Amino acid sequence: MNKLYDFLNKNESWKPLIVSLTVILLVAITHKAYWETTTETNPEKIWDGQTFTVENAEEDGNQVWNIDFEQNVGDVIVFKGVLETSPKNEVYQNFTTGGFIDAEGLVYTEDLYGKTMLNVGGMRILVNGNLSGEFFESEIVTVRAQLVKNVTTFKNGGQDTTLFREGWEAEPEDVELASEVDYYFFGIESLIFIIGSYLSLKRIDNLNNQMSLMWHLAKFEFQNGVKSSRMIVLGLFFSLFIIGIGWVLGDMQDTEVDSSFYVESGNHALLQFCFFTFFVVSLAAIAVSVDSFHKERQTNTMSMLLARPITREAIVVGKALGLTMVIGLPAFVAQVVGLYLMVSEGDIPSLGGIIAFLLFGQIMIFTMISFQFCFAVIARSGTDVVIYGLGAWLLFAIVWNLIVYAISFAIGIELTEGFETNPEYQALASHLGLFNPGYVYQFAVGLLTHRTLAIDMGGIPGWLVLLALVLWPLTCLRVSTWLFKREMKG
Amino acid sequence: MTESLLELKEVQKGYRTYRFGKEIECLDALNKLSFNVGKGQIFGFLGPNGAGKTTTIKCIVGILDCDSGSILINGENIEDNRLESKNKIGFLPEQVGLYGGLTPSETLRHYGGFYGLDEEEIKERGRELLQKLGLSKDSERKIRGFSLGMRKRLALAVALLHKPEILVLDEPTSGLDPRGVKSLRLLLKELNDDGLTIILSSHVLSEIQEICTHVGIIDKGKLVRQDDISGIREEIKKTEIKLSLRVKDFKDKNAKKLNKKKGITVVSQKDIGKHTQVTLKLKEEMIPWVTDNLVSDGVKIFSIEPHKNSLEDVFLEETGSDNS
Repeated sequence: MNKLYDFLNKNESWKPLIVSLTVILLVAITHKAYWETTTETNPEKIWDGQTFTVENAEEDGNQVWNIDFEQNVGDVIVFKGVLETSPKNEVYQNFTTGGFIDAEGLVYTEDLYGKTMLNVGGMRILVNGNLSGEFFESEIVTVRAQLVKNVTTFKNGGQDTTLFREGWEAEPEDVELASEVDYYFFGIESLIFIIGSYLSLKRIDNLNNQMSLMWHLAKFEFQNGVKSSRMIVLGLFFSLFIIGIGWVLGDMQDTEVDSSFYVESGNHALLQFCFFTFFVVSLAAIAVSVDSFHKERQTNTMSMLLARPITREAIVVGKALGLTMVIGLPAFVAQVVGLYLMVSEGDIPSLGGIIAFLLFGQIMIFTMISFQFCFAVIARSGTDVVIYGLGAWLLFAIVWNLIVYAISFAIGIELTEGFETNPEYQALASHLGLFNPGYVYQFAVGLLTHRTLAIDMGGIPGWLVLLALVLWPLTCLRVSTWLFKREMKG
Repeated sequence: MTESLLELKEVQKGYRTYRFGKEIECLDALNKLSFNVGKGQIFGFLGPNGAGKTTTIKCIVGILDCDSGSILINGENIEDNRLESKNKIGFLPEQVGLYGGLTPSETLRHYGGFYGLDEEEIKERGRELLQKLGLSKDSERKIRGFSLGMRKRLALAVALLHKPEILVLDEPTSGLDPRGVKSLRLLLKELNDDGLTIILSSHVLSEIQEICTHVGIIDKGKLVRQDDISGIREEIKKTEIKLSLRVKDFKDKNAKKLNKKKGITVVSQKDIGKHTQVTLKLKEEMIPWVTDNLVSDGVKIFSIEPHKNSLEDVFLEETGSDNS
């Protein structure tokens, strides 16, 4: 308790933010509790609780099948879960042939045509309407469903069979995006965060003055950076690469479906584009950050700068902003040109995805520069900075998948053909991906290609991706300023 | 007594070594260092290499934090408002770092931006300073073609741009040729005449003796002496000097006679060809007595050379570095 008290006293300016984060945590717990108490968040448990029995009791030798749930007929449950499959592919069509389908626990009959069998987190719910185009795969939804019982007679291998089926059914209006409720909680949390940040920032001495000095330094870094011959060569190289990739990804949408270079849609192409942009831009970000601290120390411009009335925090942020502009501006132009070529050759990705691709691209560059600062501040020589930077780039852009494979193998996930669609592998890869700024960028763009943030991104919720997108640059900045300030202690 | 502008109170500072973020070693650089500098002084900060001069200066200009103790400017602790205190200080580091791709005008615009000076103000003040420092002709030339002296002058212009109350110079003459040293000295005197307080660290003692009004001597992170230059001059006068004599027919009995006299010590006696080189330690006023006696004892004096004491002798004595 005393330690907490000391910590709060030491960080007087950040008190409101710390308080607001505590309140946000409480709201988040309430949010979680709300879903846990008002919905069934593990639909698969209900589905797995069904029993299937076969009776041969009828005198004429016909079989009687029973599908029963632990709940009583007429019970209503609100299920919350991820749409595991696209509703577009789950609508019964008039060419759907008869017979019993075990996975869905029903017999195909004509009266099913036009209805949708939703797969909500492993639970099958029959919706009395066509939800094609209304909901999409990976969206997190709530479905208010009722347990009903009906009887169907059908031929099973020439033998008449009667199915007494209990199943969960819902009306189209009973299906809703979970985000409709989430937004209230997120709205409250964002508001508390904004108020906390505002009050904290207000307590910082000379904030306006420091912000203007930060901007002064950022402009200086930008002017110096864009004029450097290294940047001209580098900028030309990565801009051409990005533009070329955009054109190739558009063209690849026309290839054969079974081709290994097939890109299935505009959104899919956009995600590929994210990876390649990260691949080349992160390298450039590392290259320009090499000089940021080390060279300034070597040429003694750092001591001239440190004697000015600017805080070390403002120096780090100012430099990061300036270098982000150095890489960000040509990258942005190249991304726009690349997108134009991609769209002119293939499908148009969603508008949200395009905006995220361009905007989050800048955040990704800022993150990579701040990340490199952590090394640049502590490195003893220019070679050290380059080696650390290249190591980080290799890790994030090249060998990351190998690490994921190795961990998967170590924890017993079979890496046989088609392993990439294995939910266990996907969940692991997604969770590990949050520790890679490149994947966070890709996930965040992927998230915004959807119409809602209530998306399951291979086992991780959409909000976690956005949180990672914000936390990455903030953490890197915090670490680099902490290291830079530690120098003052000698 | 002059009003104190800068005061260091028991400043302690150590340099740390970290491993995996954990401090594993701390070497003391400043050990309860205290001194004060009055308004309008030129304060010379003397000390052997590694004494802690640069560390002290870095603490004053806000590049380093003190571990304990306080630094006051006009009675206000710089820790309380570090940014404000930086506004009061102009700093010229030993190794001047300037961006080679910029011109002096651009450099002044860049650094002036940190003090909230507007474009016009920077232009006007910059022009004035460049003129004063003899760089007005080169104001639009890239710095990468500048000599060290020109760079130092430009860095001095940067340090003076925001009209500081204190100018702090770390080894300002290092790397400069004699002409550069002289012009810098004249410039500093001129700035001091205009009311600027100057602190300069140096191990070139003649430089301090020439220009400073006050002197502080630091050794192993501690102040061993602080005085005004006239006080030190007085002391120099009062202390014994060395006298070298080149003589002939100097016998042991002459040496014994000199040693017997109160206030005279024969330091050395060496034969150099036909003559003898004798070195004595004595008060300046005893010189006539020595010469009269030697002549009356039949010793022939060919040359006589008094070695006047300097700040260097005080420095060596205070820092215990006199091995002679």
